[in-house]
Order: sequence, then structure tokens, then C-alpha cells
Amino acid sequence: MSEGQASSVRYDEATKRYRGASEPAVDHLSLEVPAGEICVLVGPSGCGKTTAMRMVNRTVEISEGDVLIGEHSVRDREPAQLRREIGYVIQQIGLFPHRTISENIGAVPQLLGWEKDRTRARSAELLELIGLDPELGDRYPTQLSGGQQQRVGVARALAADPLVMLMDEPFGAIDPINRERLQNEFLRLQAEIQKTVLFVTHDIDEAIKMGDRIAVMREGGRVEQYATPAELLMAPANEFVEDFVGADRALKRLALMRVSDIDLWEAPLAFVGQATNEVRAKLEAPDVEVPYPLLVDDERRPLGWLSERDLAADVVPGQPDSPLGPVLELDDVMRDALADLLQHETQYAPVVDHRRRIAGVLSVEIISEFLASPEAKSEETPAAERPHG
Amino acid sequence: MANPLLLAAAGEVGGDFFKERTSDTLPCQAQAGHPFCWEWATENIDRFGKPTVQHLELVVVSLLIGFAIAFALSLLAHRRRWLQPPLLGATGVLYTIPSIAFFFLLLPITGIGKDTAIIALAAYTLQIIYRNTMLGLANVPGSVKDAARGMGLTDRQILWRVELPLATPEIIAGLRIAVVSTIAIATLAVFIGGGGLGTQIYGGGNLTFPTSIFIALAIVLLMALAFDVVLLTVQRLTTPWRKARAT
Repeated sequence: MSEGQASSVRYDEATKRYRGASEPAVDHLSLEVPAGEICVLVGPSGCGKTTAMRMVNRTVEISEGDVLIGEHSVRDREPAQLRREIGYVIQQIGLFPHRTISENIGAVPQLLGWEKDRTRARSAELLELIGLDPELGDRYPTQLSGGQQQRVGVARALAADPLVMLMDEPFGAIDPINRERLQNEFLRLQAEIQKTVLFVTHDIDEAIKMGDRIAVMREGGRVEQYATPAELLMAPANEFVEDFVGADRALKRLALMRVSDIDLWEAPLAFVGQATNEVRAKLEAPDVEVPYPLLVDDERRPLGWLSERDLAADVVPGQPDSPLGPVLELDDVMRDALADLLQHETQYAPVVDHRRRIAGVLSVEIISEFLASPEAKSEETPAAERPHG
Repeated sequence: MANPLLLAAAGEVGGDFFKERTSDTLPCQAQAGHPFCWEWATENIDRFGKPTVQHLELVVVSLLIGFAIAFALSLLAHRRRWLQPPLLGATGVLYTIPSIAFFFLLLPITGIGKDTAIIALAAYTLQIIYRNTMLGLANVPGSVKDAARGMGLTDRQILWRVELPLATPEIIAGLRIAVVSTIAIATLAVFIGGGGLGTQIYGGGNLTFPTSIFIALAIVLLMALAFDVVLLTVQRLTTPWRKARAT
């Protein structure tokens, strides 16, 4: 794979004034996006986030100040040449209806004068990368679903291995189920290709999910806070950010964590055929957190919960009285894990590793303690480990 | 409408045609209620050959000229939007002038002959082709142009690689209308000595002898159909993505 290029983007007092407007659309914006990170520009409509994004490829001309890609000012470049080095994805997708999918993906390489074979090979490679059937390459855009079309839109933007990607509400027009899927796919892709991405959205949840960093903007392109998602949720800089992030920011923080990020309870384990006395002894230990023993097999894989009645026998039975209920995985996103617990109307559930062996027990109590604890506020989820859903 | 004096003045339909008619014994003419005379038709079919070729020439040349001018005007108006209302108005005025009046207005300037006819016919096509081309360009989705610009296509590349290909169906639709109306109006070229199938329709004796009119009309109709089929085929071939939509 030829991926590998990425450059930082730096706004230096960048300003955009539209003729006839009393206030600048973007007023002295300074912001630095490190190479290989996703920076989400988020804010209410009319805050100048799209204008700010478009300054990078000069589809909006900069009135004052500058935008630098790597070390180079975009103002020194011929706009069409500059844009061929920058991936561009928009909400309405904008595929060329009269070109096949392969031709659409190969559009920028064609502009750059690549040889036909190389362009064709690159189109095929990208179709595979975005998980589309290679046969779709000969179709026309109208023959694809909206979700498929936007995948092609992303592939087209990536075709010439751009230094920077600009994505303007790329998944905004897709239905919620497919949006989630496309977001996850893009994050997986990004983990592989490590592009510098400027991502515009008005949806704070999408911003939290997609961003390595988030710039919360308000009218005039003023950045109210520029921080990682975790910082933003734990310590909003001011009232505007707090309002924008929403009253449920505690819950939103759970979306940033995996079950493995939190200290789990230890379950008292019981093995089939084990003497019930031993199990009872475990339950009577002073620091026991789970009041019921968990029946596991030889590989320590959970089978079910044992009840008082099960323990009345001499040895642990092979068939537990109570069903296992939900089983969580270490990789699960904390928000989903909580949803699972609530949906099953249970206080706790076993957590297993990728080989389905018991790793601990997660309870509603652990989660609420985590959210309440001041210690949680300093804890930060490293970007690389952000859940991809 | 056919003033024999006028026709004689135009020098085209005069002499021979009338003479031939009056001297000939017209077999079917005497019989009342006989609108079409097969006997005459089979004997005289070759007299339609030359007018048909002339007619084709009038249509093709005036369409080529009309298309070239209207297309150039469209591109100009596409780039400079303020030109759009005046151009629409100007081509509209040309389109509104009654054809015969137009022919005779041009007569003192360009004289008798097919050139005058071609100028007038070309002028008539301007409005239709211009309007449809503008419509086609206006129908190109803004998102497609935005994406094209953002990907680094220059304005010229956007026009030739994106906008015009996408406007092709409307442009060809305009051409199809222009072709049919030009074929019809070209029958009037006879009044200014432009030749064409009009010679076989507006011949003096024809008002009481409709066979020649019927044959000429049939040729006009076939010609219009043939052009339409050709243009439709061109459209299908140049816009394969539109067919794909149905599958």
C-alpha cells in the first residue's frame, strides 16, 4: 500500500471576510492539527467551521492570515494544483454521475497524469480497502446505495495519497445505522492510513467519536476550546462548551472507554464438581464484592451463576440454577456495556477476554462510582485506544 | 400564400413547373375526390430528388451554423451570468419573427438564394439550442461541481469534463426540436429562391393537385424522423449512465 503521506495543518490568524458582511465569517483563527490526527471542527450552524475547513484547499480564499500545510503556505500554491494533494469529501458526496465508480475513484490520479494501468490498479486497491465488491467498479453512482456512494466518496478522496483530508459532514446525509457503520469503517481505515483529517460536523456525538482533537467553535470561527474528547467532556472550558457538549456528558464519557479501562470486580469462581464448602468459604471472605459464585469450566469460561439451592448440594452441579445473563467483553465500549446491563435488568455481568475466559465482573455500581470519582476526571483515554465500536 | 408573381420573381418555381403542368394531361386531376394520383406519382418521383437534397443541405448547414453560434453564446453566458437575460431576449425576438417576414427582411441584404434561407433558418434554431444548453448546464448538481472543484479540476476542466457531458441530454433534446422545426420551416425557403421541398408544395397548380404536396410532405416527415432517430442514438451512445439508472 502506498499510503504514508500526512502533513500537519496550521491556521495562523486566518481570517475570512465576505464582501458586504459586517463581521468576518472566520476571525483570526489559530489552530494546529498534528500530522496523522483527526481534528473535528464542531459548532452550531453559521459558526464558520465549514468556511475554516475550506480555507485549507482554498475553495474559500483567505482574506488575512495564513494556513500552512507542513511548512508551506497554501497561499503560495496554484489552487487547482493544491487541491489535488488534499482529499475532499462532502455531505452530498458529489460523485460524477457520468463516470463509473472506478473512474470516479481514479479522477484525481487522472488529473495528476498517472498512467492508465496505475490508476486502474489504484482504483481496484481502494475498492478493496473500502470493502466494496470489485464488480461495482464498472457501475455508475446511481446504481449504488447512499452508504456505498459515500464509501466511494472517501475512496476517491484517498486515491492520490493526499497530505490532508477535508471531510465536510461526510456522513450527515446517511441513515443512522449506516452512519455508525461508516464512522467505524473510517476509524479503522484511519488507524491504517494515518491521514491528517479536518472533519466538520455539528453533531457533538460524532465529534467525540471521530476526533483525536475537537475544536468547539462559535460564531466568527472563534475556537472556544481545543482539546481531546476526554478533556472536553471532563473539563469544558466555559458555559458555551458545556451547553454544547450537553447535560449528558458523563454518559458521553462512557462512549470513550472500553470495559478494559476500568477496574473490575473479582468474581468468586466455582468449578464443576468442586466441593460446595470451598465455594462457600470464598463467599464469606471479607472483601467479596459479588454475592454469588460464578460457575466456570476447566478453561475458566463462564457457564452460569450458582444459587443458594445449587450450593445446598455437596459438590457444584454441572447445570447452574440461574442463567448466565449478558456476557461482556473487555473490548466492549463502556456505554454499550452499561446499556447491556440495563437492558437485562441486572446489576452485574461477567466480562471475558477474547478467548472467552473470565476476566472479571462489571457492575452498574462500578460505573456510577467511576463517574462520581474525582480520580476519573484526570483519567484520559489515549487516542490510539479509542473505541472503534 | 403562394403568389405566382412572387414565385416568378424568385425565379425558382416559375417557368417549367407551370408550363409542364398546364401542357401535361394530368390523368387524375379531372376526377373529383381523387386526392392522390399514383400514376403521376410513379412517373414523376424523380423530380423530388434534387429538392430533397437541397432541403437536406438547407437543414444541415443552418443547424450546424445555428448550433455553433448558440453553443458559443451558451458558454459565454455560462461564464458571464449578466449576459443571460439579454441573450435570452435577443434569441427570443429572432424566434418570434414570422418566417416569411424574416425571409423578406433579409432579401435586400443577402439577396435571393439559399444563403438568405440558411441565415434565417439558423437564426430560428438559436433560441431552442441556447435555452436547452443553458438548462442542461443549470441542471448539473451543485454538489458535483463543488466536488470537482475541491478535487482540483480547473474551471475549464469542470466545463468540458463534468458540466457539458452532464448537460448532453438537454442539449440533444434542444437539437431534436430544432431539427424538426428547421425541416418544416425550410419548406418556405422556396419563396426566396432557396429551393428545397417547398418547390414541390407551393407550386401554383398544386392547390388543386395535391399529389405533389403529399409526396413532399411524406419526404419531410421521413426526413424529420430519420434525424430524430440519429440524434436519439447519439444521445444513447453519449450518455450510457442514464440507461444504467433503470437497472
